[in-house]
Amino acid sequence: MTGSLATRAACLGRSALRGLVASPVTTTVAVVTIGVSLVLVGAFALLAWNMEELLRGVGDELRVTAYLEEGVSPERQRELATTAATVEGVAEVRIVSKEEALERFRQGVGRGGAFLEGLDENPLPASLEIVLEPASRSAEGMRVAVGSLAGLPGIDDVVSGQEWVEGYLRAIALVRGVGIGLGVILALAALLIVANTIRLAVLARRDELEILALVGASRTFVATPFLLEGAAQGAVGGLLALAVLAALFRLVLPEVQFGLELVLGGIEPRFFAAGEAAGLVAAGSGLGLAGSLAALAGRWRR
Amino acid sequence: MKLPGRSAPPVLAAVRPPAGAGDAAVAIYHVSKSYAAGSFALRDVSLQLRKGEFVFLTGPSGAGKSTLLRLLFADERPSEGQIVVLGRNIARLGPRAVPRLRRRIGVVFQDFKLLPRRTVEENVAVALEVVGTPRREVRARVFAMLKQVGLQHRRYQLPLSLSGGEQQRVAIARALVNEPEILLADEPTGNLDPDLTVEIMDLVASAATRGTTVVVATHELALVARYGKRTVRLEGGRIVEDGAPGVRVR
Repeated sequence: MTGSLATRAACLGRSALRGLVASPVTTTVAVVTIGVSLVLVGAFALLAWNMEELLRGVGDELRVTAYLEEGVSPERQRELATTAATVEGVAEVRIVSKEEALERFRQGVGRGGAFLEGLDENPLPASLEIVLEPASRSAEGMRVAVGSLAGLPGIDDVVSGQEWVEGYLRAIALVRGVGIGLGVILALAALLIVANTIRLAVLARRDELEILALVGASRTFVATPFLLEGAAQGAVGGLLALAVLAALFRLVLPEVQFGLELVLGGIEPRFFAAGEAAGLVAAGSGLGLAGSLAALAGRWRR
Repeated sequence: MKLPGRSAPPVLAAVRPPAGAGDAAVAIYHVSKSYAAGSFALRDVSLQLRKGEFVFLTGPSGAGKSTLLRLLFADERPSEGQIVVLGRNIARLGPRAVPRLRRRIGVVFQDFKLLPRRTVEENVAVALEVVGTPRREVRARVFAMLKQVGLQHRRYQLPLSLSGGEQQRVAIARALVNEPEILLADEPTGNLDPDLTVEIMDLVASAATRGTTVVVATHELALVARYGKRTVRLEGGRIVEDGAPGVRVR
């Protein structure tokens, strides 16, 4: 007998829908568990991504500054600048004279710079301002530049944002690690709950399954509605998580703007792009599917 | 007989099929079935059923009638011996082959085994849906089948709103809608009044006239006598009679 794929798909879809409607409480518990798991994972993912965004943003401003000793001649300054330009990852070297440094300082402090008028001599040192190539604007790139310049005759001290970048990267790794850790634990909990939901559904419908087996239904035909149920529960959980995260993003974010600025600086926090949102829903669906598979694994082996 | 595309199970090579096995729908060779050591539900049963034959399985409760039927639709495997149903060796049937075999066999039980939350039409349709029959064809065939068992006017009702006899007619419709090659009925009239018993048995017997091999397990001797068909009597898991009612095997 020729089997129609559309007929089977419609039949399996109806069966899955009947299953979802037949046990609203267990279905709701499974959906909410998946939703809560994904809200937490999604929130940590958003925070980590936004922090990375900040790092990319400030990357352009990251500089290595080599302060020169007092009395280094202009020739030696140029020599040191040439040497610095040959260091791996260095894009540009600029000599900042003592006078220019003072002028920048004056502009930086504004009217508070009046106290400088009382000084007999310019206390600020000349320096080399080193801009790194985009690929080297990282903690490692800065470490290389600092290591190559520190200790050269005429250089007093070399400073960079290396420590800040390293600290910030550690913070991102921590956020990501906590997110993944929590995500794994909650995903396992969600998986177990979905598996139990499907196991209960299988038990509740054992008479129906017996009859299906009797009339020659294949294992795939019997199992597919349960797999669809799990995947649908997961997808709805994913949509729920997306809605909750969007609401939090719109309603709660303005309330915590100040605290967030400390972490993210001045950047505008971003929400999930369409592809990422779809990924969250797909992750929920996958979680539900995995739960169903776990529940049915015993039956398949039999 | 070697079927095209199917090789004879090697294990059967050692068992000489009795004469005339070529047109057998069911061939059972020295089959025993035990659920616990030393306790046999069936013991050394050998039997052949021809295509289109109508056979009664009789015997007291616990004689092994239901066990034999369960073996025939591969719900159980024999502990010893071989069973060939429609050319397939039950003892060697893989998990994927079981559903394919069952689509060629209709089964009717004493307790009807209907889906209580599905309509009469949906209950019958399920046998066609599992093989992916197009929806329009399903509706037409289910309607024709329900008409045949006199229940077309009840097709949108739930099974529990029907009488016992009507529910059994739905079960028979489900078993026959796929035009099976074998129909197995386990005490199909056990829950019914005498008037309904005849009505149901006539439906079952009509399947045999269309070429379906029919096996009816029953302990109602009056029913067996009424139809005068081949009767296989089991006692203690062994065949003690095989032939017209009253003919002893040995």
